[in-house]
Amino acid sequence: MKIHIKLTGVLYGQIMADLVRPHPFAAERVGFVFGRMGSLNDGKLILLKRYASIPDAHYVDDQMVGARIGPSAMTWAMQEVYRSKGAREGIFHIHLHGHAGETAMSSTDAREIPAMIPGFQSVGRDAAHGIIIVSRNHGSGWVWLPASTQGVEAAQISVIGAPVGVFERRSAR
Amino acid sequence: MSNDRYSRQSFLGPDAEARIAACTIGIAGLGGGGSHIVQQLSHIGFQRYVIYDGDEVEDSNLNRLVGATSADALAATPKLHLAKMMIYSLQPKARVAGFPCKWQEKPEPLRECQIVFGGVDSYQGRHELEVACRRYLMHYIDIGMDVHGTEKPVIGGQVILSSPGGPCMRCMGFLSDELLAREAALYGNAGPRPQVIWPNGVLASTAVGLAVDLVTNWTRQGRRHAYLVYDGNASTVKESATLRNLASGSCPHFPDGEVGDPVLLEL
Repeated sequence: MKIHIKLTGVLYGQIMADLVRPHPFAAERVGFVFGRMGSLNDGKLILLKRYASIPDAHYVDDQMVGARIGPSAMTWAMQEVYRSKGAREGIFHIHLHGHAGETAMSSTDAREIPAMIPGFQSVGRDAAHGIIIVSRNHGSGWVWLPASTQGVEAAQISVIGAPVGVFERRSAR
Repeated sequence: MSNDRYSRQSFLGPDAEARIAACTIGIAGLGGGGSHIVQQLSHIGFQRYVIYDGDEVEDSNLNRLVGATSADALAATPKLHLAKMMIYSLQPKARVAGFPCKWQEKPEPLRECQIVFGGVDSYQGRHELEVACRRYLMHYIDIGMDVHGTEKPVIGGQVILSSPGGPCMRCMGFLSDELLAREAALYGNAGPRPQVIWPNGVLASTAVGLAVDLVTNWTRQGRRHAYLVYDGNASTVKESATLRNLASGSCPHFPDGEVGDPVLLEL
């Protein structure tokens, strides 16, 4: 199953501008981006449409991880998914790794973030949800399609802006 | 640049070759305009294509179809075949998904593209392509030409870049309900439109230039929309006054967020 993720250059700029802002105590920022599915010949497109920044007060001070968001942020995210379930809008946890080039989940990311997905699926079962990690000039995504218990790594993230950005998994080239 | 082949276009930027190679281009219509576009993109280094045309070469195409020969007209060579030959002769490792039909009959592969060129004849065809490009997040570059009048013919044409989130062809004053209705009323009765190679060449070259700038941003303009008007009698291409005078970059016809497969909403 091939998965491609797309977003406009304007949305990408908005996300990057938010994620690079320093936080009063967290080492990195987290956000949520919402998107809908489109059909491909042999897979699915995820078309991202809007971004939600997480207010500073919704972070939990935990020096063991780059960023940890608290229950209020998670509750808000679950409510948003529920509110948008008619339009089959899914939610994607997004954060920035501050290096350039292809990026991947850290061991902490892999341990903690996928655990959020079943919660999102429980309130938005017909939508795709997932995780996106951007670097300074690249990005990777993992997508859980409806009813799926396994995430699929996106082969490509396209930024439809000026310039166009095509972030590809090395193995997909 | 990794080798001498692209040394003359190194001004496009140090990573231009990789950016160009990674971009997937859609082309709907491989006739007078599309054949120029295919040729130029292949020379530049584009490697990934999704292309559509269900027609075969006819005698009446030979005045403008780049790459077509008299033998192709005799053999009724599919235009799709000509385009593939053009691409593979310049880019042997290219990935080409080609379909001998209208894009509407096989729309899913087109959605993988980052940039789509429209070389279609009708306003309705342009409208449908733009709708698809907005819904599945693709830059759309439209080209078209026409000849008006017979006693003192006037050649006109346009190149339009319509990008998600920015002004569309309706915002730019190029498409309207009235125009679409008038065209629909003439359905099947419009007759063949005059087409010649040199305006198609100007328009295709201008369109390819916009695409290369979109991919590499070599002009540093960050241009996401354009409406360029061709005057074939004066041999000029100028920015449309309509676009210049648009109040803002937002589009009321394609609200942000209307993306993806349509779903039925419960009332």
